[in-house]
Amino acid sequence: MDISVTLFGGLRHFLPAGSSFNKCTIKLDDGGHLDELLELLPIPARKKYIVIINDEKVSREAYADITVHSDDEIVLLPPIKGG
Amino acid sequence: MAWQKQILRVNLSTGSCDIEPLNMEWAEAYLGSRGLGSKYLYEEMDPATDALSAENKIIFATGPLTGTMASTGGRYTVVTKGALTGAIACSNSGGKFGAELKMAGYDLLIIEGVSAKPVYLHIEDDMVELCDASEIWGKTVWQTEDLLAAKYRDPLMRFAGIGQAGESLCRFACVVNDKHRAAGRSGVGAVMGSKNLKTIAVRGTKGVHAKDPKAFYKIVNDVNARMTDRDEMSRDGTLAMIDVTNGFGSLPTNNNRSVRFEGANKLNPEAMHSPNENGHTNIVTNGACFACTIGCGRICKIDPKHFSVKDRPEYHGASGGLEYETAYALGSACGVDDIDAATFAGFLCNEYGMDPISLGGTIAAAMELYDIGAIDDSITGGIKLEFGSAEALCQIAELTGKGEGFGADIAMGSKRLCEKYGHPDLSMTVKGQEFAAYDGRSMQGMGLAYATSNRGACHLRADPYGHDFETTEIEGKAKIVAESQRDVAFLDSSGLCLFPGGCGWGLEDYRTLVDAACESDWNEARMLETGERIWVLEKLFNLKAGLGKKDDTLPKRILEEPADVGTGKGLVCRLDEMLPEYYQLNGWDAEGVPTAATLKRLNLN
Repeated sequence: MDISVTLFGGLRHFLPAGSSFNKCTIKLDDGGHLDELLELLPIPARKKYIVIINDEKVSREAYADITVHSDDEIVLLPPIKGG
Repeated sequence: MAWQKQILRVNLSTGSCDIEPLNMEWAEAYLGSRGLGSKYLYEEMDPATDALSAENKIIFATGPLTGTMASTGGRYTVVTKGALTGAIACSNSGGKFGAELKMAGYDLLIIEGVSAKPVYLHIEDDMVELCDASEIWGKTVWQTEDLLAAKYRDPLMRFAGIGQAGESLCRFACVVNDKHRAAGRSGVGAVMGSKNLKTIAVRGTKGVHAKDPKAFYKIVNDVNARMTDRDEMSRDGTLAMIDVTNGFGSLPTNNNRSVRFEGANKLNPEAMHSPNENGHTNIVTNGACFACTIGCGRICKIDPKHFSVKDRPEYHGASGGLEYETAYALGSACGVDDIDAATFAGFLCNEYGMDPISLGGTIAAAMELYDIGAIDDSITGGIKLEFGSAEALCQIAELTGKGEGFGADIAMGSKRLCEKYGHPDLSMTVKGQEFAAYDGRSMQGMGLAYATSNRGACHLRADPYGHDFETTEIEGKAKIVAESQRDVAFLDSSGLCLFPGGCGWGLEDYRTLVDAACESDWNEARMLETGERIWVLEKLFNLKAGLGKKDDTLPKRILEEPADVGTGKGLVCRLDEMLPEYYQLNGWDAEGVPTAATLKRLNLN
């Protein structure tokens, strides 16, 4: 299935080639989990981020337990500050 | 050695300009800039004095690292009693003015009294004079700088001054230096205007010296190598935050009626970097302050075909563009998704000398007053002040800069405006100062930081960002806010910018630089104690000014109306639960007054 993922802030610079400004589509097996999806994104390991699915923040401990659906709104936010 | 060890005191009432030795005992205890300026203000002035009276003083304070080669070492702070807040104001700015003042030989410039007629201050090292300002009074910041630059013909002369907003005592007038950097918050420009002081022109040739130049050089390079995450800040600036807060659900929209803005994608970095239908791209390049190795500044152009500048070629050039806070205040807060209109309003803020956060926050409040019928066209002068109206935003911004029409009401700030028209609850302010670009319901730590900020609502007094984006639960937030307020007080007092902290530096990197530049041992314990001493001193100023626990609060909307969407949907700010713990962690009593033991521990008796 195709999963749409939005990467905000500086994370967008790590999108796969061919992506739009801050969105990409990742192919994931049906029934795939969030940790598998995140491994398919070319974001360096040193980069920290939080994951929000359908306006709910997801704890890191739960990544392997969350089944991803094709209509999920998945957003990755970097922990930036200031303004 | 990083201190110049002298201050310049200018009395506008008598016309005297005197060079005095810096009180090194205070410098050792309060470091510089924000901390040292606050110490001088606290010792020399009754905090209860009226902010716009002759008795108020305004201090331009550099830090020990200002003017050095340390990255971002160009900061200075304007310390005074705020015209907007009645609280201590410490408004920090970059650009090149601060370094120039330091190189002229001064750690602090203390302005006192009031001039009988408009003047400007001209400083070239030890040569200091007050000059007649009749030819520049009534001019914009930009016109003033151009006129004086042409007069002195020194391309390295730097200026910090006010526009017509400061002259007309707009409560959120700011001090603008280098045309588009500003000591923006709390109305420090109104204080300058009340003293009939138009601008400060400074040129310095003395240099700044670290205690051991070779060792300092090495440490500067070592620390710079740890600034590993600056590329993103250079490319997108702070504007990158708008997608983060909008995605998270903490972007104040329509005067905080919502925490998410549908038009955010028209104000974000993509919009700034992409050509519009006329082929015009908003951003031209990035810009950097003195000694900065990040370059977060946005240098932008407005589309010449845009309604705001059509037939006004004076606005077709490049100048300081939207950063995150201005994109919020002149964008989402007012429901405006027009990047050129917001850029134009931002230009006007720099030109007339207004704080864009307070301007946008006040216009947003006026839009809600208009929406509920508390004000109408007869009050606004026929302007349809509707949320989302880019035309209204631009019209009102210009009127406010000039102090004309309904702009004179906006110039009072949100708190006074909403009180005047019978709806004080609609003012999104703390201690009279408008919110920055974060909502305290989905970011509970920021809510506590706003409520307890000594200078009124502010996003730069504490560092709750990481924890707030991790969780909306309040456990641990009081400690994070209390401790980071002390850390930030130290950083602000060094002469460096806070942004390296978001690009790879830690607190230890700042401490290392201070220790390398300054005499005596600046170890971790001393750093933490100094930060806390500064924070508590500011608190003491406010207590003597008449502020108290009643002022450590948030608007009713944030405390009682749940956030409508996002990760904080359904939440209000749980300030009442966090505040007692925050006071306790600070060593303050239940009323938020530092205890005798705390004062003794910090040598503040």
